[in-house]
Amino acid sequence: MTTRRFAFILALAAPLFGQVGLDPAKLLEQPTDTWPTYHGDYSGRRFSTLKQINSSNVRTMTLAWMYHASGNPGSIKATPLEINGILYFAAPDHVWAVDARNGREIWTFKWTSKGGTHIGNRGVAVFHDWLYVETPDCHLVSLNIKDGSQRWAVPICDLDQFYYGSLAPTVVHDVLITGVSGDDLDRPGYVSGYNLETGAMKWRFYTVPQKKGDPGSETWPNEEMMKHGGGMTWQPPTYDPALNLLYITTGNPQPVIAHKNREGANLFTACVVALNPDTGKMQWYFQASPHDTHDWDATQVPVLFDADWEGQPRKMLALAARNGYFFVLDRATGKNLLSTPYVKVNWAKGVDKNGSPIPDPAKMPQLDGSLVSPNQGGATNWPPPTFSPQTGLFYVNASRAYSVYYVFDPDANPMGWGGIDEGGATLETMIEAIDYRTGKIRWVHPWQTGSRAGLMSTAGNLLFAGDGSNNVIALDATTGAILWHAGLGSSVSNGPISYELDGEQYVVVGAGETLWAFVMRSK
Amino acid sequence: MQRLAPFLLLFALFVGAASAHAQEYNPETAYSTFRKVCGVCHATDFSMPPRSKDQWTQTIQKMQGLGAKGSPDEFALIIEYLMRREGSVKGGGRGVQAGSADKHLVDFAAAERGRKVWAAECINCHGTQARGGPQGANLVRSEMVLHDRYGSEIIPYLKKGHPLQSGHPISSLTGENLSDVVHFIHEQVYDTLRGSPIFHQQDLLTGDAKAGAAFFNGAGGCTACHSVTGDLAKIGAKYDVPALELRIVSPRNARGPNRPRVTITVTAAGAPPVTGYPAAFDDFTVALRDAQGVYHSWARTPDVKVVKNDPFAAHDALLDKYTDKDMHDLLAYLVTLK
Repeated sequence: MTTRRFAFILALAAPLFGQVGLDPAKLLEQPTDTWPTYHGDYSGRRFSTLKQINSSNVRTMTLAWMYHASGNPGSIKATPLEINGILYFAAPDHVWAVDARNGREIWTFKWTSKGGTHIGNRGVAVFHDWLYVETPDCHLVSLNIKDGSQRWAVPICDLDQFYYGSLAPTVVHDVLITGVSGDDLDRPGYVSGYNLETGAMKWRFYTVPQKKGDPGSETWPNEEMMKHGGGMTWQPPTYDPALNLLYITTGNPQPVIAHKNREGANLFTACVVALNPDTGKMQWYFQASPHDTHDWDATQVPVLFDADWEGQPRKMLALAARNGYFFVLDRATGKNLLSTPYVKVNWAKGVDKNGSPIPDPAKMPQLDGSLVSPNQGGATNWPPPTFSPQTGLFYVNASRAYSVYYVFDPDANPMGWGGIDEGGATLETMIEAIDYRTGKIRWVHPWQTGSRAGLMSTAGNLLFAGDGSNNVIALDATTGAILWHAGLGSSVSNGPISYELDGEQYVVVGAGETLWAFVMRSK
Repeated sequence: MQRLAPFLLLFALFVGAASAHAQEYNPETAYSTFRKVCGVCHATDFSMPPRSKDQWTQTIQKMQGLGAKGSPDEFALIIEYLMRREGSVKGGGRGVQAGSADKHLVDFAAAERGRKVWAAECINCHGTQARGGPQGANLVRSEMVLHDRYGSEIIPYLKKGHPLQSGHPISSLTGENLSDVVHFIHEQVYDTLRGSPIFHQQDLLTGDAKAGAAFFNGAGGCTACHSVTGDLAKIGAKYDVPALELRIVSPRNARGPNRPRVTITVTAAGAPPVTGYPAAFDDFTVALRDAQGVYHSWARTPDVKVVKNDPFAAHDALLDKYTDKDMHDLLAYLVTLK
């Protein structure tokens, strides 16, 4: 056992005296009175074991409170953490602490920005008394969760290279793990591990090879292209404590649309990559979109669950990818178990022996346009799906759309984007309940208008979702029947969470700039 | 008077347009509309690049395709707001939303002057678009260039004695020459980024017009709704080629007063059907405005029948049928209708 692991176990065992902070033992439990990470636990399942609110009584759930986030932050895309009765969440340049019982603001933190893309922030990490958040201008900031005062801020990327920060950091052992966003120019993606106390970098894993001879370099034409090959890391990872493997998902290669100077599969872009969280060393990879040309990064949630596979218990990872494919992998080895489209797609010619789809060259972007499905937005995108171990179903908010992909830059050596998709139409948006064993769709609930709402399933046989018409909705997780809804004035814009406080179960969702809390009153 | 009349007319038009505009454009209304519609997904307190009205219109259409919701008037107001706001924020320089807030803003006139210096002294090694080659570095990907502000990094580096293709020493270039080249180099970086204003479709007319006519009259089923001597007469003269292609594959995104629109017809038990433009339509309620502008809404119960009348349904169905060749052929055919 390494000293670091031993120190971590000591930290877990340490009694907590009057702390408002997060007991690290909570990180290894299923979420009940605490929602301690972006996904509620390390698995990415977003499954709450609470069942006080369930499919027989959800109709009597009532509004507990609403909180309108101060400071005109834009839509709340962050999943809040709930720790000792306080919610912590973020938007670009903003962090809030809010009383989980009554929605009262406890403190706010505003970062003075030096720029960067302000498209969204997925949330924060907390460990003991310290909160960690990324900023659009490439900083990792640590705050005291007691009052929101700043402890330190360290740069994690270079704003001048058009990187920016957007994802929720993750704590594993004594390492704070962050990723980076930004595919405006051709730069390499990476994941880094930082010291929780000081913000000093411990390790960095580049998602594209940095020199000839590095693993994956055989899938690039030359060193210049691989070094600038993209693969941003803008989805919080998941983690298996027993295997001690961290699962990251990587973004699109660069140049994105005009692609002719990067022949090859372009590893490790558009991949699931398993890393050792203490060292950043790669254990295995699986590529969801070899030689992606459609901006379909694989930065969806790699969901971890243990279940039967062909009669044997197996540790698995499932990914509903932006390119329209549903993958199941053995998460110990990376071996592909299942690859099947979950919406109709027209860009692949089947899958190869490793289970990776084979892109059809005719459906790559063309100078005169190619009609492709999914569109750039993808069959799904960053909003989190959920897996219920009770139903064995993987639920995802899916979309089926076409657009025309054009190459704008006819140069033999294109840079940056060099093209885009235009036009087209969305034909269907829906929740799909996918049987992980076959990839077959058990049930579908179509929307008149879809949304980018995240999902949560619960032991109460419920699935929480949002439509594109401002409703938060509870469905029967087994059948897909709608059981409850409420209009929120804006569409659900984050992943719902659930926690128990004072013996009562709450469900909290973000819609636009407002958090809404619903509760089952016990009296 | 004959010479004066056109001036008076122009003046009247100008004043009329200006005053009408002043009445119509309320910055507070525009900002709140922008926040309401765009703020659903985007933070709304950051700067964005200057873009033309056409470019913003394209962006808005794309956002509508991604699910942005608002009325036609609201989207028109948002486009106006974005154009005004960007003009004031960026001072006409070229820049992008991404990157540092204090990034180098390109002075177009200086960049144009710099282009001439570039052609005379730099292009042989660094290439037309500063992307480099066997003899010279790729400046678009150069960290020195990306960290530069108005020559802060580049000019001292050049002054150390960087060779020129004319063979003259670097000291032969004036301070203004160097500053102009710096603007030109930054322009090349920005022209590489997503959403670059120089990006546009290439030659789209690769199809076979005859095959397009056959598809139009046959397998495409277009004649069920359209006629090349009726609604599509001279369609090839009405739109430029890229716009026409997008009209073919995504007419739903088109804007304008006479465009076809989705309507719904709601029939409640024992009541006459009501038809109108949908105001809300989900699993729980259906609401519409009828031809008189009256708002109606119903709870969605088994007794309330809803029929969606979608004039674009046939176009949507074609998306699953078109080959790329069909799309290119159809475009080649419709372009000939002038």
